[in-house]
Amino acid sequence: MNGNMADFADDHLVRQAKQGDIDAFAELVRRFQEKIYHTIHSLTRNQQDAYDLAQETFMHAYKSLSNFKQRSTFYTWIYRIAVNLTLNFLKRRKRDEKREVQLEDYSLDVKSAASALSPEGYSMKKELSEKLNEAIDSLPLAYRVSFVLVVSQGLTHTQAANVLRCSENTISWRMHKARKMLQQKLRPYLEGE
Amino acid sequence: MRHKKIEKLLSNNIDGELPEKKKKVLETHLRKCSSCSSYAENIQRIHNEAKSLEKLEVSPVHWEEFTSRIKTEISFAKKEKLEGAPPFLRWKWAWAGAALLFVIVVGLFLYIIQSKTPQEVYVFSFENSLAKIYQEIGSDQELEELFNSVVLASIGETLEDSGWGDRPDFYENLILWESLTEEEMRFLESEIKKDTKL
Repeated sequence: MNGNMADFADDHLVRQAKQGDIDAFAELVRRFQEKIYHTIHSLTRNQQDAYDLAQETFMHAYKSLSNFKQRSTFYTWIYRIAVNLTLNFLKRRKRDEKREVQLEDYSLDVKSAASALSPEGYSMKKELSEKLNEAIDSLPLAYRVSFVLVVSQGLTHTQAANVLRCSENTISWRMHKARKMLQQKLRPYLEGE
Repeated sequence: MRHKKIEKLLSNNIDGELPEKKKKVLETHLRKCSSCSSYAENIQRIHNEAKSLEKLEVSPVHWEEFTSRIKTEISFAKKEKLEGAPPFLRWKWAWAGAALLFVIVVGLFLYIIQSKTPQEVYVFSFENSLAKIYQEIGSDQELEELFNSVVLASIGETLEDSGWGDRPDFYENLILWESLTEEEMRFLESEIKKDTKL
């Protein structure tokens, strides 16, 4: 069943899902769950929150399928839902200021690519990674989301603009400003090498 | 070209969003500008680091669990939808309509009742206020006597100031306006006019 489903295009699966085919929707979940999860995790820095929000994203998408007119791709649409839910979550969290942002949360079975390095290289990379994480977290939210979508998720400026409902020029400007801010914050660590 | 513009071109270039024509301009500038070259190296490194940050490997089992959980949730939601809402919620629009109708009927009833009741329109005036005071005083004999004595004393003081108080029978025959004849009133009026030079 899954093998067959994997051959279909997103649009076809969306149409099937709209008619109540749960397997078709499950295939869409399978295709995008990792990307959605990583996007949310890049913004929340918390495994459990990312997991819950990813689940909420897909449930919200399923319930709103009838409203999805397929003018944009499913990919853009699901990203938009995920980003909006995450932004709302972050605003709520900022208001509450009760929960701590956990920069290191390895409660799930997660391995970093850095673990393949030598102990010395790993340590240096870890320090820069931590500082980079902190610097990204300190970016204004609009810049941070754009940065995550373009750099971490590899979206083009056009795709990111569609997700965030803004112009490509806005994305281009935010990327430039975000990089400039990150460079200023990380300069000591970059020059130290 | 200004360095700030070059920095923006560098950012677009890293994202693969720079047209070929501008790439050449950028390369030419970087060859002769060390500060922009250094900036280019730094942001390229940040870009590479940020990309590698996301290379987290989550166990495939975890994703299977995730998908099956979504499927379960959807099946549950679907089942709930098929079973429909409880009878009370199914009638929610009927209940809402009935409540609205009730409010309209009660509102109309109150409006009609209110419009039929003659409204006492009270306009403040000195005469009305004085009449109410007189009415109040008249209902209490003791109060009426006290009020009269105060008024008479006040008139007496006024007349005394104007010279009338010199008359020997003044205190025995205090003048009350009610007791004056028309002729006396006219006389008084002419005297007052003379005094005030009207």
